Amino acid sequence: MSFTSFKFLLILPLIAALYQLLPVRCRVWFLLIASYIFVGMANWKAALMMAAATAFTFFVAKIVGNPDSANRSRATFLTAISGLTLLLVFFKAIAALHLGQFGKLAAPLGLSYYTFKLMSYLIDVHWGKIEPARNWPEFAAAIAFFPHIAAGPIQRPANFLQQLPPAKTAVWMGLSRLVWGLAKKVLVADNLAPTVNYVFAHVHALHGASLLAGFYLFPLQMYADFSALTDMALGMGLLFGILGPENFNRPFTATSISDFWRRWHMSLTNWLADYVFTPLRMATRSAGTAGLALSITINMLAVGLWHGFARGYLVFGALNATYLVGDVLTLRSRNAFLKSRPSWNGLASWAGWLLTLHLFFFAMVFFRARGVSDAFWLLSHAWCGLGTHHAELAALSAAAGSRTLILGLTGCAVLELAERVRPDIWWHRTEAAAPAWVRWPVRFGVAVCVVSALFFLTVRPGGQESEFLYQVF
Amino acid sequence: MPPMDKAQAIEELTEIFRAVFDQPNLVLRDAMTAADVENWDSLNHIDLIVAVERKFKIKFTTREIMGLDTVGDLAELTAKKVSAAP
Repeated sequence: MSFTSFKFLLILPLIAALYQLLPVRCRVWFLLIASYIFVGMANWKAALMMAAATAFTFFVAKIVGNPDSANRSRATFLTAISGLTLLLVFFKAIAALHLGQFGKLAAPLGLSYYTFKLMSYLIDVHWGKIEPARNWPEFAAAIAFFPHIAAGPIQRPANFLQQLPPAKTAVWMGLSRLVWGLAKKVLVADNLAPTVNYVFAHVHALHGASLLAGFYLFPLQMYADFSALTDMALGMGLLFGILGPENFNRPFTATSISDFWRRWHMSLTNWLADYVFTPLRMATRSAGTAGLALSITINMLAVGLWHGFARGYLVFGALNATYLVGDVLTLRSRNAFLKSRPSWNGLASWAGWLLTLHLFFFAMVFFRARGVSDAFWLLSHAWCGLGTHHAELAALSAAAGSRTLILGLTGCAVLELAERVRPDIWWHRTEAAAPAWVRWPVRFGVAVCVVSALFFLTVRPGGQESEFLYQVF
Repeated sequence: MPPMDKAQAIEELTEIFRAVFDQPNLVLRDAMTAADVENWDSLNHIDLIVAVERKFKIKFTTREIMGLDTVGDLAELTAKKVSAAP
C-alpha cells in the first residue's frame, strides 16, 4: 500500500486519532501491532521473516553485550552479523538473478531498512556504545515502525528507544510535514515522471534534446520523489511521537561532491560512514592515501549495491567513488590555491556547484537506465544535434504531456525556493502562535481543504496508485 | 611520556586540530562535536586520529574511536592512554 494511496490516507487519520486516545503505556504495543499489520498486508511471509530476524538479534545482543564472556560474545557477534548480511545479500541476489522459483520470496517489504537497523544495533552493543535492550516489544517496535519501514529513513534503534514511551505527539507539526511531502510527490515528482519514463523507455530511438530532458529531469524527479517520501515518513512519525533522522539537506546546492554526499540520503550515508567507512579507514590508516582511496571506494560501492545487485548501481557507486577520491585528494591544494587568490572564491563556488551537479547527474543515468548500454547511448547521443530531431521531441511531448512537464518544472523551481523557508515549519510556527479561537477554525478549514485536495490529487483515472521510486529498495 | 590530564590534552590537541582542519584560530572546548568544527567530517576524522596517535605515540582501537562523541571524550581517552604508556 503506497503512502499516497487514498486507502492509506483514509486509514492514517483513524489510526492517529485512536493513538491519541490510548493510554501512554499501551502505545508501544499499538505501534508494534500496527506495524506488523502494515507489513503483513503486503506479504505475511515478509512480516514473519522480520519477526524472526528481530527476535534473533534481540537475543544475540544479550550474549554480545555480556562482558563476562568476551570470547564467546565476539564469535556470536561475527556469526550474527554475517547472518544478517547474508539475509540481505540473498534477497538482493534473487532479485538480480530473476530466480523464478524464489520469485515469491523476492524483495520482502523493508528488508534493506530493517536489516541495517538490526546490524547497527548489534554493532553498537558489540562496541559497548549501548546496553542490550531489555524490553522486547519496544525493540520490535523500533525495528518495524511502519512510517519508516517502506523506504526509511534508517533510524538507529537506540535513537528510537530513547524517545519511549511516546507520551508527546506533535500532531500538527507532523501533519504539516506530511502535507508538504505529499504536495512535493503529486505536484512535482509525478509530473516529471511521464517525461523521464518515456525517455528511459525509448533511449535508443532518441537523440539530442529529448535525451537531455531525461539527463536533467531524472535526478530532479528522484529528489522530489524520495525527499517527499522522507517528509511523509517523518511527518507520520511525529503523529506517533517519534522524531526520525533527516535524509536530505538541499543537496542540489552542494558546491563539491563531498558536500553533496553530506546532504543526500543522509541516514544511509551516515550509517555507512559509521559502520563501513570508519572501521575500514581505521584498518587501512597506516597505508596513507591508498588506504583512504580504498575505504572510499568500498564505501561508495556499498552505497550503489545497497540499491540492488545490478551493473548500473555498481557503476553509479564506482563513479561516485572516483569523484570523491578526486575531491578529497585535491582538497588541500585547491584550498591553498584559493587562499592566495581570495577574489576567485565566488567563481570557484559557482564552478564547484555546476560541476558537482553534472557529475552526479552523469552517475544518475546509470542508476536509472535499464542497462549500461542504454546509459552509454544516452550519454553519447544527448549532445548531438541539439536543435534538430523535432519529430522526436513532438513524440515525447505527445506521449508525456507538455502540460505535466511544465507543471513539474514549475514545481521544481517552487520547491527549491520553498525549501529555503520550509513552508511546513513556517505554517506550524504561525498557527501555533495564533490564539485558540483563530487556530482551531483555521485548522478545521485547512483539514477540509487538504482532504479534498488529496482526494482529487491521489485518485487517478483507472484507480492506479502512484508508487514511490525508493519503495522498491 | 609524563602523565597527562584532560585539560593538558585539550591544549595539546588544539594544535593538532588547527593543523588537520586548517583552522589556525580554532579554540577547542570540552563539549565540542564534529558539527561545531568546520571541515571536520567522517572523511578526515581518521586523519585527526592518526595525527593524535603520531604525536603521542599511542594507538586507538575502532571500538574506542566509535565511542567518542565530543572533544572532551577524545581528550580524556588521549590523556588516559598517554598516562598509561610505558
